[in-house]
Amino acid sequence: MPALTETMRERIKSLFARYPSKQAVTLPALHMVQDEFRCVSLEAVKEIAELLELHPAEVHDTMSFYGFFRDEQHRLGQHRVWVCRSLSCALRGGEKLLAHLCEKYHVQPGDTTDDGKVTLEFAECLGACEGAPCLLVDDHCEMNVSTERAESILSKL
Amino acid sequence: MAAFEPVLLARVGKPDSPSLATYQRDGGYAALKKALAMSPDDVITVVKDSGLRGRGGAGFPTGVKWTFLPKGHPGPIYLAINADESEPGTFNNRILMEDDPHQILEGIAISCHAIKSNTAYIYLRYEYGKSYRALDKAIQECYAAGILGNNVMGSGFKLDVYLHRGAAAYICGEETGLIESLEGKRAWPRIKPPFPAIEGLFRKPTIVNNIETMACVTHILNRGAAWFKSIGVPADPNNPRDAGSYGPKLYCLSGHINKPGCYELPLGITARQLIEEYGGGVPGGRSVKAVVPGGISMGFLSASELDTPLDFNGPGKVGCLGLGTAAVIVIDDATSMVDVLYNCCRFFSHESCGQCTPCREGTAWMTKILHRIRSGQGQIRDLDLLLEVANSMGIIPGTTICGLSDGAAWPVKNAIKKFRPEFEEYIQSKRSTITPAELVSAH
Amino acid sequence: MPTVFINDKPVEIGAHERLNCIQAAQRADVEIPSYCWHPALSVVASCRMCLVEVGDKKPDGSVAMQPKLFPGCQTPVKDGTVVITNSQKVKDAQKATLEYLLLNHPLDCPVCDQAGECYLQDYSYKYGRGYSRLQEPKTLKPDKDYIGDQITLFTDRCIMCTRCVRFTREISGTGELQVINRGSVEEIDIFPGEPCNNKLAGNVVDLCPVGALCSKDFLYKQRVWWLKSKPSVCPDCSTGCSITVDQNNDELFRLKPRFNPQAQGHFMCDDGRFGWKYIHSDRRLKSPVARKDGLVTANTWEQILPAVRSAVERAVGTTPARFAAVISPWSTVEEAYLLSNWLKRQSEQVTLAMGPVRIVGEDDHYPKTVTGAPPSQVKFTIRAEKAPNRRGVEMVLRHFQGACLGFDEIAKKLANGELDGLYVMNADPRATFDDAFVANCAKLKLLVVEDLLSSPLTERAQYVLAGGAWAEKDGTFVNHNGLAQPIVRALRGPGDARPDGRILWELSGGTGLFRAAMIRQQIANEIHSFAPLILGDLGDYGVSLNSAAAAVVEKQLQPV
Repeated sequence: MPALTETMRERIKSLFARYPSKQAVTLPALHMVQDEFRCVSLEAVKEIAELLELHPAEVHDTMSFYGFFRDEQHRLGQHRVWVCRSLSCALRGGEKLLAHLCEKYHVQPGDTTDDGKVTLEFAECLGACEGAPCLLVDDHCEMNVSTERAESILSKL
Repeated sequence: MAAFEPVLLARVGKPDSPSLATYQRDGGYAALKKALAMSPDDVITVVKDSGLRGRGGAGFPTGVKWTFLPKGHPGPIYLAINADESEPGTFNNRILMEDDPHQILEGIAISCHAIKSNTAYIYLRYEYGKSYRALDKAIQECYAAGILGNNVMGSGFKLDVYLHRGAAAYICGEETGLIESLEGKRAWPRIKPPFPAIEGLFRKPTIVNNIETMACVTHILNRGAAWFKSIGVPADPNNPRDAGSYGPKLYCLSGHINKPGCYELPLGITARQLIEEYGGGVPGGRSVKAVVPGGISMGFLSASELDTPLDFNGPGKVGCLGLGTAAVIVIDDATSMVDVLYNCCRFFSHESCGQCTPCREGTAWMTKILHRIRSGQGQIRDLDLLLEVANSMGIIPGTTICGLSDGAAWPVKNAIKKFRPEFEEYIQSKRSTITPAELVSAH
Repeated sequence: MPTVFINDKPVEIGAHERLNCIQAAQRADVEIPSYCWHPALSVVASCRMCLVEVGDKKPDGSVAMQPKLFPGCQTPVKDGTVVITNSQKVKDAQKATLEYLLLNHPLDCPVCDQAGECYLQDYSYKYGRGYSRLQEPKTLKPDKDYIGDQITLFTDRCIMCTRCVRFTREISGTGELQVINRGSVEEIDIFPGEPCNNKLAGNVVDLCPVGALCSKDFLYKQRVWWLKSKPSVCPDCSTGCSITVDQNNDELFRLKPRFNPQAQGHFMCDDGRFGWKYIHSDRRLKSPVARKDGLVTANTWEQILPAVRSAVERAVGTTPARFAAVISPWSTVEEAYLLSNWLKRQSEQVTLAMGPVRIVGEDDHYPKTVTGAPPSQVKFTIRAEKAPNRRGVEMVLRHFQGACLGFDEIAKKLANGELDGLYVMNADPRATFDDAFVANCAKLKLLVVEDLLSSPLTERAQYVLAGGAWAEKDGTFVNHNGLAQPIVRALRGPGDARPDGRILWELSGGTGLFRAAMIRQQIANEIHSFAPLILGDLGDYGVSLNSAAAAVVEKQLQPV
């Protein structure tokens, strides 16, 4: 049972033309897989390696460097919510916000809520410092997030 | 002081500002047209003459960097645009990408013509989803309008621009870390020499430039090198090594400030002016204890150093690493510098790529020491140990491969030197200011 | 000649040599400590152990030093380069680097295999601070014994030099090893389910400067300071890797490759590295045996050697054309010469032949590529010819009888009843003489077998001479490329087994001790193709016998 769908394989192959080396498609391929399956399985790594003419260990090496990609034992929930903990946000309550959300949803940073809906993580500077404290909810940034607003955002997910 | 008429931020906030239609209506892509009618070398000359220095943090003269490419190279030559913007406190690139992407694309196209590159990669940090969507749309608009592709604006010049998303690693903002990441490997910066201009992406000559730098290129071609040079702080005529601080700069203001935001001002404004005249001062009637002048890698200005001009020379004169990204973070007098320093050290140890020994072990050690101090178990000699560790790491002494360790060391050096009494008092009090909140996000 | 200055000491280097600071300093007998740098691997300059001060000496004698430190491994030297390795700045950097490396390093020396040959120990002793200032708990990492069938990893001892990862990517090309995570929590690992089991895997244990990667075969077996080392040559294929034999009390503990730019370079394969266990097998012949009608009649050298001599002389004297000798491609040049000379001196009609030459598969070239395409630059080859000295034995046989017969021809002669007497000298522990051959030996009036392991053939012989393994002998092997290298007696065989050279020396009437170097010189004098061995001492890298080298030596030997 192959891990990559046929569509994914086609999309990965279509990116080859952009770069002189197939290895450059590693990050785009990993993102594609994680967006779809909420994790990157070992089988997916092997198939990506085969497509890109790399050793599985080379793809896995890159994947583990970023801390962004999850293996099957640590799959993401439906939604991924990052709370910034770098200086500008910490000065305006970012860490307190994270602690509050962790307590409210009964998770440690990095974990997923029991209902599988939300993975709550800390992030380093999200580049939204003028709106500290801030959240990154999937692919959208929310600024000036008070505790109430954060709870409201998460409850709608 | 006289209000500065924004140039880089001129279109930000206007309706439909990211679109090609409004950009062209506002005179967009005239600079590119002008540049395409010039020879590549003439374009380089204009950029050199403008005195533009890179806005990514290192401040290297852009036009000069372009001349490092080998002459007569058969190619391909690549332009890699550093949109990884991860220096804490920095968000100016984000605003440019989200609200005026064409300004950047025009600068990219001009630069590619100048350096004879037919392929540009924008390495964009993953967390900037809105920037990704804005740039992606703008690039597609350009291809549809013949501004990108096989025949740029009918000139015969061929240019492809590709977006490449990162995966949340600060070290991808280091130019060779970016290159390694783009090539699909772990982002371990390369040893230099060779420098990217000689051997960069895919081992071909590569120029790496910042987003804001690209935007500046557009305006330099539009309004001329002399215009750019008329703004900012001229070079000291008695110092041949001073390249001046020319042009407008986007200053990011955040932290304990009433009006955080991105302010476009001539290079050379002081921290005090930025905080009081533009930032509306410190909330709650508090006063400034310390200011980060250009992203946390640059260290701290003390309250007595607020009249430091924020140009390429000023922060260095008061012991900071430099201007960096001009991301100004204000810290009020109710905040403990010990807590602030811990936050900085934790950031660098989390982001250290781990390749070379002093940074890999040193950043983690400094974080552990500060954690112990903040647990109420510090000793005065820990401060000297922290200074010793900080002094032993970096490309300045030559002990590491890249500048992340200089950035990790500088906040430690500045904080302990400029705020030593506060650190000593904290240690002697044996108190702990570790909040339950932080234990939750402990690395 | 370009001159480089190492701490004020001038060193001349070759006009076309490209050296880094570490290599230039070696010429001046100055050590610049390093971990991640290795001459066979790409330069990463990540350990930062080799930081030195560099500068330029101008023609007017003034010296301009660079303000900051540079890694010696990535800095090339040229005429006028000044390298300072002992200034306070350099010493402080060395102390700092070692303190960092030891920061989270476990205090495992008492239980770590590497103790005694550990670069972390050695450099800490020479260049370290002498104490650590860490007061916090050390970062812990789990041990991984799944890295390979032969390899186990003590992860927290690792100093992240990445030599092992670069080896699997650049030399073996099999890419099993990787780095996972980022920063101070980085670890070496494999892709789950794909252990490092390529045929060159054992080299990563040698490459590891500390006791992180360990050989499961050697783990906890012996402290290295009890080992006695001798340089030798691996016998398992015709590549002839230069190696070191480590033993204690005549027990062989391990083989390691020895750098030889003329032979194989820096590495060796696992077949050779781990394939010596038969040396201590209980199938080893521990004494000579004489048999009559299937019963053992004597088992001492004093009884058997004279008996063999007279039996052979009688057989050759009676029907020389029906006497043959088979010489293994695992025998040394000296052994082949002694046996051939002894027999041919008695009669020209004696037939000499090569023993069975095992060919397994094809030559195996490295690095491998993901697509299976052949490597663009071969860095290591495991050869299909599984014998160390076929060329050397062949050269001896050609000298004595013009042509070298193969083993099959002897087997055919035997089957056709054309032989009365047969002397089989076998030194290949994996050679098999098939049932038909063994059965046909019943047709012989005299069968002498010199071997190291018992087998159906030795059971059949009237005289069995208990020979030595390669590690127990002095001699010469000639590899696939005509490189003649010395093998050295590193340990004694079991019981009464003797090195074959000694057996043949005494059989052929020699008195006193068997000395391989002396025989070598005799051979060089007598056999034109061995002339380059005339000095007797073959040096660290061996002596090339191929025609170009031979021509040079011949010129040098011409009477003036």
